Amino acid sequence: MRLRTLAYCLTQGVKNLFKNRLMTMASISTIMASLFVVSIFYCVVVNLDYVLEEFEHKIGIAVFFDEGVSENEILTLKNQLEARDEVFEVIYVSEEEAWHNFKNNYFKDREDLLAGFNNDNPLRGSSSLQVLFNDISQQSALVNLLNREDIVRHVREAEEVTVIVQNLNDLITYISIALIFILSIISLFIIANTIRLAITLRSKEITIMRYIGAKTSMIRGPFIVEGIIIGLIGGLIPIGIIYYFYDQVVLSITTQFFLLKDFLVFLPVEQLMGQLAPVVLLTGASLGYLGSRMTISRYLKA
Amino acid sequence: MIRLEHVTKIYPNGVKALDDVSFAIQKGEFVFIVGGSGSGKTSLIKSFMREIDVTKGHVYIEGIDITRIKRSKIPKLRRNLGVVFQDFRLLTNQSVYQNVAFALKITETPNRIIRRTVPALLSMVGLGKKSKMRPDELSGGEQQRTALARALANNPPILVADEPTGNLDPKRSWEIMRLLQDINMRGTTVIVVTHDKEIVDAMKKRVIGLVNGRVVKDIQRGEYGYET
Repeated sequence: MRLRTLAYCLTQGVKNLFKNRLMTMASISTIMASLFVVSIFYCVVVNLDYVLEEFEHKIGIAVFFDEGVSENEILTLKNQLEARDEVFEVIYVSEEEAWHNFKNNYFKDREDLLAGFNNDNPLRGSSSLQVLFNDISQQSALVNLLNREDIVRHVREAEEVTVIVQNLNDLITYISIALIFILSIISLFIIANTIRLAITLRSKEITIMRYIGAKTSMIRGPFIVEGIIIGLIGGLIPIGIIYYFYDQVVLSITTQFFLLKDFLVFLPVEQLMGQLAPVVLLTGASLGYLGSRMTISRYLKA
Repeated sequence: MIRLEHVTKIYPNGVKALDDVSFAIQKGEFVFIVGGSGSGKTSLIKSFMREIDVTKGHVYIEGIDITRIKRSKIPKLRRNLGVVFQDFRLLTNQSVYQNVAFALKITETPNRIIRRTVPALLSMVGLGKKSKMRPDELSGGEQQRTALARALANNPPILVADEPTGNLDPKRSWEIMRLLQDINMRGTTVIVVTHDKEIVDAMKKRVIGLVNGRVVKDIQRGEYGYET
């Protein structure tokens, strides 16, 4: 397409928006509402993912070994685990460290109570590997694998909480997908109707263009531009609203659920926008484009 | 330049609009196509422009069988044909100049050429001083002259006028016919579809008569010849 044709399509597309103000507003509002809901769900999913990721890095499983297993054997297993994609970090806690930590936790300031242990280590044979995950959903599979290892005595896992968070995230993702699908269909039809009206308003011009020998791209271009602009505006507004109010909402949630402040970790708005803005704008533009194409292929045959 | 070979058009509702029509129009000719309502005149013009697909037969424009060309090639075909209509089909919210420039703009003509061509066309049709006026400020004859200027903007070798005087009084009708004759004298093939017996009889040009989709007469320097 030549630059002149592109300029023509752009200016005519913009003019269409104003010729057809009421329907333009209706389309922008519908697509805006749809993309707003999509954006909210996107924020929730992305933030839950973020929480889960943080969570995954904080909790993990502890692997305990049979008596008599050498440190070398444990370190070999540590290396093997570290090579796995789902594993974020593996920390080796020797029996001395375990006892040291225990003393610190439970006998701090009461060293007198430790006198009876006579430098014995009651946690002998309690060397362990703490495994933290990149992907907590892989936890069960790894636990099963470890349970089959000869040297492993017991694997302690914090399954329940992770499963709950994981399931919640999955549920919200499925709801989001369903909502995005339904709202996209509605938006598509509204845009298609707006473009149909624009075509009707310009039917005389289109007839003349056809008789004079305008290329199909020249006839269809303005309507495609109109659809894409509607989609983009419909996407920009929710992005603006979320950008403006995100920090306030985050502050309000963290204040209200103060006790959960260690768990409720929110993505910074800039990082969120880096993901959300392209997704929403691309979705808006695609819906606009598809809505126009639907109408054009039906009402503006070559 | 235009050749029809056994062209038949039957619409989906079963109406036979054209029935085995064959004729040829040479470069530089001036031809009247006459016939009553429902005789097939409009379908004939639509078949020249590939606005309808004929059921049978072939339509050749400048040696190309347009019944066989791809849809994507239709715009290029239509640039060979300038068309004017009885109802002018002007853009009422645009000036005379803009209406003519529109034809050039949508065929991707550079602006500097548009700025040179439009005044020349308007002066040719006698509207040089009315270029800024809108169609509703013009008389019917002037509107038709604007439409003619627009049809000629891309310098088509063939001009098709569908009832160009249908909405005009006799005086304005003659002005348009004289303009069409001038355009023909400059080398453009002109095809005029009309009901106007007086004009056809007076101009003594080739007349092709249609009745019920069939060619019933094709006479050089002919007359209207029958009632519609």
